[in-house]
Amino acid sequence: MKRQWTFVLVVCLTVFIAGTVLAQEPRFSIPLPLTGSNAAFGEIEKNSYLIAMEEINAKGGIKGKKVVLEFEDSQGKPDVSRSIAEKLIDVKKQPVIFGEYSSACSKAMAALAEERKTPYLVVTGATDDITQQNYKYVFRMNPSNAYYASGMMSFLKEVVKPTSMAILYESSDFGTSGADEMVKQCDKLGIKVLIKEKYEKGAVDFKPILSKVKSARPDAIYMVSYVMDASLLMKQIKELRIDAKIFAGGAAGFAIPEFIQNAKDAAEYVITATLWSIQVAYPGAREFAEKYKSMHKNYPSYHGAEAYSALYVIKDVLERAKAWTPDEIRVALKATNMMTAFGPIKFDDKEGYTNQNFMDTLVMQVINGQHETIWPEKYASKKYVYPMPSWRDRK
Amino acid sequence: MAVQIELFLQTLIAGILLGGLYALIGIGMTLIMGVMKIINLAHGELMMVAMYIAYWLFSLFHVDPYLSVFIAMPLLFFLGIGLQKYLINPVLKVDSILPENQVILTVGIGMVLANLATIFFTSNYRSTPVDYATKAFYLTDFWKGAPIELSLSWAWTFSFLIAVMITVMLWFFLTRTDTGKSIRATAQDLDAALLMGVNVGRMRVATFGIGCALVGAAGCLFIPIYYLFPALGGQFTLIAFVITILGGLGSTVGAIIGGIILGIFESMTATYIGMGWAPVGRFLIFVAALIFLPGGVASLLRQKKFGK
Repeated sequence: MKRQWTFVLVVCLTVFIAGTVLAQEPRFSIPLPLTGSNAAFGEIEKNSYLIAMEEINAKGGIKGKKVVLEFEDSQGKPDVSRSIAEKLIDVKKQPVIFGEYSSACSKAMAALAEERKTPYLVVTGATDDITQQNYKYVFRMNPSNAYYASGMMSFLKEVVKPTSMAILYESSDFGTSGADEMVKQCDKLGIKVLIKEKYEKGAVDFKPILSKVKSARPDAIYMVSYVMDASLLMKQIKELRIDAKIFAGGAAGFAIPEFIQNAKDAAEYVITATLWSIQVAYPGAREFAEKYKSMHKNYPSYHGAEAYSALYVIKDVLERAKAWTPDEIRVALKATNMMTAFGPIKFDDKEGYTNQNFMDTLVMQVINGQHETIWPEKYASKKYVYPMPSWRDRK
Repeated sequence: MAVQIELFLQTLIAGILLGGLYALIGIGMTLIMGVMKIINLAHGELMMVAMYIAYWLFSLFHVDPYLSVFIAMPLLFFLGIGLQKYLINPVLKVDSILPENQVILTVGIGMVLANLATIFFTSNYRSTPVDYATKAFYLTDFWKGAPIELSLSWAWTFSFLIAVMITVMLWFFLTRTDTGKSIRATAQDLDAALLMGVNVGRMRVATFGIGCALVGAAGCLFIPIYYLFPALGGQFTLIAFVITILGGLGSTVGAIIGGIILGIFESMTATYIGMGWAPVGRFLIFVAALIFLPGGVASLLRQKKFGK
């Protein structure tokens, strides 16, 4: 008899606990660099998450429950984002975590998520090895660094046909893996890499290293930098009148409007690989961009689109998951196959990657002080300008 | 061969221009170091404040950053005086376990400034896109048949020249005026200066103000060629610190030479070793100076009876 009572009690308790877990509103904390040198991107992402949250809540939330988002400042430091993730998983019992901006921070969180068996959706961290470690609980919706450049490589191969290249990159995870990947791609196309140099982010003067690049006379100059370094680099390239056939940026700093605002005329004709642009024909992309602009004056970078779409992915996953537990959510994430403002999202295991989304990348060029999509030609908003005039002949 | 010479000369030019600006940052810290015997670790943050002044003057009233020098310098001077009078002086009087608690105070001031800037101005990157930002003088424009091409950016050159002007003015102030001489006296021997009737307390306040004004000027000179964000201070505090040590604690001439050495050294490292090594090189110099030249450049000058 006694045993029966215990049994009933346990059942009641289980139902009660399960009930409270299910009844709770979907409340998520998102770690982002809101201070520190990456804060500009953290801010873009935060704004975009909030836009997505409002839209979702206006349409009835997730399974009828309003989404609540909170933001935690990771200062762009991996150890801080790791401890934030620990708090979310261990204390707040959040069944799925997502967010963070830089590769280093995403990597720290990915390792922790795998350890605690809690699914983690990587939104912007691009270094290749995050999804190359056979992590079962880590999903990445943005293409990895290796695929950032795929669109750019086909543009180089078919239009520019360079025979030599100089690569400049910042000495971070993102910069290093971008540069290493470019070297591999160059080997494939038979492009000789004359110079491969890293620099410390935040440097004041690039002229020494650029003089060295100038004396090597490469056909193409490829740079992996964040925005302010990117504009300083182009300004100083103009100062030194380095006439390469093409200046190419590896996304990040080159792809956002601030690059043109800061580098001004020195930014003209620079091409950049990008994952997303405001003119791209994905459903909801343009609307999101306009909405963002009306609220925050500038158009968002692709990071914004990633963050905005990430919340839609989470919504889709939570609606499909049988229960809001880490394991059920993982199963639902694995089965994701949807279209977002950022592009198609589907997690595949191939080419050494696990749970990685593979998608087309675009090439943009600065034409008349505007970013225009130029490649692949079917998505192009303007015809590319090539060859470009030498610095001396520009006004 | 021509290519190699061009590379070397262009690197040297870059190094000297950078060094001149570094020197101006370093002098402010050195002055304060000399008189107060403390390292002002809020130095870079004070520069950041001046850069925000220049930025807002530019974006609201279209004041050229170079003109802002004349506005930011007095403002930073009074800010410095305020900090010294109401924050550092009271701490000097307090007995504490740590003898150097004013240094710790400057760290705190720096943090407060950086965080206030984040709160008020957000952590966005800012810059003053002046029209002449990418203009430059070219050797081939002046000499048509030049075998090599050298360029000299307008903004960098202006910044360098103004930095030199300010340094010369400071030198006149320190050697030719009563106040300047009193400041030097205080730096050399506090007790003797006190006995000779120098108002040491006031000199301390004035020196802190001047040190801040100098770094304020440096901020205005940096913004056309660099950019601005609240967390930028630390990196420049570090540079000023290295220059102060290299120049010989408290010596202005030493700081100027130290700044230029550092600028040229960084540029040469970037060209001939690799730009990623520049920060390593900076601290190599720092450690080397401490071990082999503990008195800094100033001790060499003193041996030759050239310095003060």
